[in-house]
Amino acid sequence: MRLPRRGAEPGAPPAGQPWSGRFPGFDVLDQSSHWDPATTGVVLARVGMAPDIRFFTPDEEAVATALCDQLLAQDDATEPQARVAVVNMIDARLAERQTDGWRYDDMPDDGQAWRESLAWLDADANEQFGCDFAACSRAQQGSLIHSVQNRGSDTWHGLCAERVWSLWTRYACTAFYSHPFAWNEMGFSGPAYPRGYKNAGIDRLEPFEVRDARPGDDPLRRRA
Amino acid sequence: MSNVRERNESAWLLPPDGKRVNHQLRQDMRRFEDNDEVDLLVVGCGAGGSTMLQRLARAGWKVLALDAGPFWDPDTDWVSDEAGSHHLYWTEPRVISGSDPVPLGSNNSGRGVGGSMVHYAGYTPRFHPSDFRTRTTDGVGADWPIDYSDVQPYYEAIEEELPVAGEKWPWGDPHSYPYRPHPVSGNGDIFLRGAERLGLVAKVGPVAIVNGRFGNRAHCIYRGFCLQGCKVNAKASPLITHIPDALAHGAEVRSNCMVTRIEVDERTGRATGVHYVHEGVSRFQRANVVVVAGYSIETPRLLLNSADARFPEGLCNDFDQVGRYLMVQGAPQTAGRFDEEVRMYKAPPPEVSTEAFYETDPTKPYKRGFSIQTVSPLPITWAEHVTAQGYWGADLRAYMSDYVHWSCLGALCEFLPQPDNRVTLADEKDRHGLPVAHFSYSQCDNDGALMRAAQEVMEDILRAAGADEVITIDRFAHLVGGARMAVDEQHGVVDSNCRTFAVPNLYITDGSVLPTQGSANPALTIMAVAARAADRLVAASRRGKEQP
Ligand SMILES: Cc1cc2nc3c(=O)[nH]c(=O)nc-3n(C[C@H](O)[C@H](O)[C@H](O)COP(=O)(O)OP(=O)(O)OC[C@H]3O[C@@H](n4cnc5c(N)ncnc54)[C@H](O)[C@@H]3O)c2cc1C
Ligand code: SF4
Repeated sequence: MRLPRRGAEPGAPPAGQPWSGRFPGFDVLDQSSHWDPATTGVVLARVGMAPDIRFFTPDEEAVATALCDQLLAQDDATEPQARVAVVNMIDARLAERQTDGWRYDDMPDDGQAWRESLAWLDADANEQFGCDFAACSRAQQGSLIHSVQNRGSDTWHGLCAERVWSLWTRYACTAFYSHPFAWNEMGFSGPAYPRGYKNAGIDRLEPFEVRDARPGDDPLRRRA
Repeated sequence: MSNVRERNESAWLLPPDGKRVNHQLRQDMRRFEDNDEVDLLVVGCGAGGSTMLQRLARAGWKVLALDAGPFWDPDTDWVSDEAGSHHLYWTEPRVISGSDPVPLGSNNSGRGVGGSMVHYAGYTPRFHPSDFRTRTTDGVGADWPIDYSDVQPYYEAIEEELPVAGEKWPWGDPHSYPYRPHPVSGNGDIFLRGAERLGLVAKVGPVAIVNGRFGNRAHCIYRGFCLQGCKVNAKASPLITHIPDALAHGAEVRSNCMVTRIEVDERTGRATGVHYVHEGVSRFQRANVVVVAGYSIETPRLLLNSADARFPEGLCNDFDQVGRYLMVQGAPQTAGRFDEEVRMYKAPPPEVSTEAFYETDPTKPYKRGFSIQTVSPLPITWAEHVTAQGYWGADLRAYMSDYVHWSCLGALCEFLPQPDNRVTLADEKDRHGLPVAHFSYSQCDNDGALMRAAQEVMEDILRAAGADEVITIDRFAHLVGGARMAVDEQHGVVDSNCRTFAVPNLYITDGSVLPTQGSANPALTIMAVAARAADRLVAASRRGKEQP
């Protein structure tokens, strides 16, 4: 199976994508023949066709897609075949009621909280910019998302804003960072059974691991 | 004491051929009828329940355990993958509240045979002697009705059975471990390096992970997925450390059985058995002794859901003690950034710890203390660390791509037991129609002070090791309490032998009975206290007090 490699090109990252190209040539899927069958099934299912949307209505799907694109910086520049179908993955969890096993007493259950918060994002977009959230410019979407985040523990349309924020980011990151494409851009070796690791320790690599091409490129220094 | 195989043969009952389950043993398992009155029935096959089951099976009792979850097969049911391990957690609905609500599920509790130890990290430190009398010595918390010396022999026994690997331990009651410490990875190296530069003592261990070979259990392969269940059988959980031996001694383990209610005979005041649901069918199992070990949330919930005419406020709840004094440990995690590649995922997350800050320091404004240990979050959990700093979008992706350069430490802060941190019943019902647990948590000032102190120490260690940036996330771990042990029924639910004050043949032997928690991970203590309770029960029955 040949799949697109995320950030596989050596050298400078594409503008605005500092996460790209740090581990030149590294593709975690190259190791899949070393994984046990139970794990292989679970991981390869994620690079196959995404499950159809069952939980979200089309309107909710539109808002969720724009929201998750923002949260995970999957923009138009993301090649379609390298895109992680985050919304389908979230939708599958909600359809199957695969929650984290708890809810705050002042929040509805996760599925309902997603529905309500997406509707309120759309309402905010219409009120402030006169169009649906999905139709807003990326800058407009960004500012609407920011304003939810900035509310902290204050309420937003009757919901505790930071609990909404935590719901969005938890589901979105769980989906995205379960995907081999995401592992490639962070140099993570993925499943490790039955082989395990032989070269643990500072700056020690397995033969199949790839060293970070830009080790000094940490977020702090980039900001400075 | 040293010939562990004579006491507990579990590791030798696992297959030697690379498979992780002895299917023959499970197939040949004894099976009781609902109408058989078993000598002892255990609700919940986790840390405390499985220990009890194995001990009583060895003593020749007719024993049966019911667990709400599956009878795991690590080969087919567990994966070497974070998101794919969601089914290891107890994810039935629960409601949380309070000024510092504690997320449950994947953060805090497991299901199925083996319980939460299936996905625990594997740290197995002992409590310190001081933990058993914090009220007397520090004026906070509670005194246990037993002492460290009562539990000490059981610590030694369980450490051999798991078995535990680590350096000679200098803190608390100094002791050594049956197995040598594991080699450390990048993350452990960073901790040791930072500690050394600060003149702080840190030690490798103690972890319940096989170093070498133990029976037919394999050596750890350092794959880092301990929190997803160990497919190697290297990390201890009752599924492999106590259940095989129990089965070989005639115990039955009935999986996928959700216990809904404990039945108490109004006339005699004794428990007669439990109601449970298996594959949608409601059944009743008779038993002479009932032991509840369903974890600090489900144990109080089951007692409250077992209210009857005699116990209108919930079983054993005459004095409003059930569900109270539930504790979590404050578990902030601080990560540091290095130009070197740490690749913290290449090792079991539990590697190195320090208990140098465990005891009350009279120069500090707070009581009791904290411990510090390596933790090694995998990508999804690491994303929580990064989003907790407020990053999303391009910033999040950039931080995440930096993963291999980060090292991460976690603290365990001894939060104090408080009566209003408790489980009650919510209005919401689960799929069986039973009210779900409502868990409320609020920190006191001492708790908050410990969180900040622990964060400072972790930042110091990482900076001393050379980190140029440190980030912290506040988390909570390890629920214990909720049906605590006390001297009398006005202060707790069970006596020093884990027998409930209210119902003479009803016992509780899980983490719920702990009156304080120290800053040690609790599983070893839960098992040791259960093993002691088993000994006491067997001794009492020999004296004719409890009929097997
Ligand atoms: C991510 C994580 C890491 C951890 N790391 C560590 C560590 O490094 N060291 C450590 O010491 N501890 C650790 N712990 C905590 C440790 O796993 C628990 O404290 C311990 O397992 C609790 O034991 P228990 O006997 O109270 O309950 P459990 O082991 O949880 O067992 C309870 C069992 O009861 C069953 N059950 C519940 N209700 C019912 C019912 N009504 N009917 C039938 N069955 C029922 C459940 O299915 C479960 O199997 C960790 C926990 C987590 C979540
Ligand atoms: S690191 Fe070792 S103990 Fe942990 S899951 Fe892997 S093999 Fe098991």
